[in-house]
Amino acid sequence: MSIRKWYLVHKWTSLACTAFLLMLCITGLPLIFHEEIEHLSGVVEAPPMPEDTPYASLDKVAEAAHKQRPGDVIRFMFWEQDEHPHVTLVSMAESMDAPPDAGKIVLIDSRTAQILDEPPPDRGFMYVMFKLHVDMFAGLPGMLFLGFMGLLFAVAIVSGIVLYHPFMRRLDFGTIRREKQARLKWLDIHNLLGVATLVWALVVGLTGTINTLSQIVIFIWQSDQMAEMTAPYKDLPVPTTFGSLQASIDTAKLAIPDMHVSFVAFPGSMFSSQHHYTVFMKGNTPVTSRLLKPALVDAQTTELTDAREMPWYVKTLLLSQPLHFGDYGGLPLKVIWALLDLVTIVVLGSGLYLWIKRRKQTEKRLTELEQHHAARA
Amino acid sequence: MNKRFTDIWGWPILLAVLTTLGLLSALLGVGIWHWLAWASLAVPIIVIWHYWLRPKR
Repeated sequence: MSIRKWYLVHKWTSLACTAFLLMLCITGLPLIFHEEIEHLSGVVEAPPMPEDTPYASLDKVAEAAHKQRPGDVIRFMFWEQDEHPHVTLVSMAESMDAPPDAGKIVLIDSRTAQILDEPPPDRGFMYVMFKLHVDMFAGLPGMLFLGFMGLLFAVAIVSGIVLYHPFMRRLDFGTIRREKQARLKWLDIHNLLGVATLVWALVVGLTGTINTLSQIVIFIWQSDQMAEMTAPYKDLPVPTTFGSLQASIDTAKLAIPDMHVSFVAFPGSMFSSQHHYTVFMKGNTPVTSRLLKPALVDAQTTELTDAREMPWYVKTLLLSQPLHFGDYGGLPLKVIWALLDLVTIVVLGSGLYLWIKRRKQTEKRLTELEQHHAARA
Repeated sequence: MNKRFTDIWGWPILLAVLTTLGLLSALLGVGIWHWLAWASLAVPIIVIWHYWLRPKR
């Protein structure tokens, strides 16, 4: 392809995605630090007790949750040992198929089965940032649209790499022509910042696009692996009484002894079948703690039905999450994420400025480059 | 004067390799690997600061 064609690709893909990418970079900035921000606003913690205090049966925890919100169902239970030590988080809703947003979280002390807190649903600043970033309050279509913007961003980066060569033919790396026109200065800044952060921007952009496919990926997993594992139950009536939750989780722990429980999906909920508790186990290393492994436990007999590795497409999604969020290397990594995010804002802003400022100048430079190219050929 | 390929692409390739290394090392290991990730991901930021924002004498 000629330089001119690459330039047109760069220009149009950038123009199409810049406004949305700017929005994503700005709303993403506070989201990088969501854990720290949530801690500032105060999180209820389990009171200090001797280290070896035994945990209550999860059946007791479930009972306490039902007492707290009579009439509601439990959809999930999950544990975040680092963020909320000794706390069981119970996600409840009016019905199993209520929208995800309609869920209520009840925090219960894992040792005493006492209710710690039932925080009101967050509808503040962080919620608005999160919704804008994920789907712009437009549900799945909004999410997929932003995924497409991520793809355009990747094309803009690749075409930008191709254009970097001719534009830098006479300049040393990092040259910023400050004394000449403002346009040249910002062109040089755009090129330097863009080329220095290109791998990060590509990775965060493309993993963001993969994350927008999460609902589709989960749907495929349910109709593929999950359906296979629960095939013998397909024609059985939906059970009305269940066996012990604690016994079910013990079954899962026995089946996958080298991992620990991350969350449990209750029968009839999004990540389970009508007949099973699905216990998702996670490992201890940064990678294995992301690659959840599900164990399906028959909710009536509390015996193991099946436990399999996730298929490649779910693994891809699960590994895309840390690479997009930057939450896998402590606070220093988050600070780096924020700085690179700010650099990307400058790249996007300067690109927009360059387009508005002097379209004619670019024409002239392209003609020069073309002549140069023709003369060499 | 025209530059050779390595004159133009030397730094960008080095920064790309360091970024890749940094992104992966924090994912695959803990402890020293986290330090390696922070150090190598900081390099592009330091380079940008050096050429763009560092006060000129």
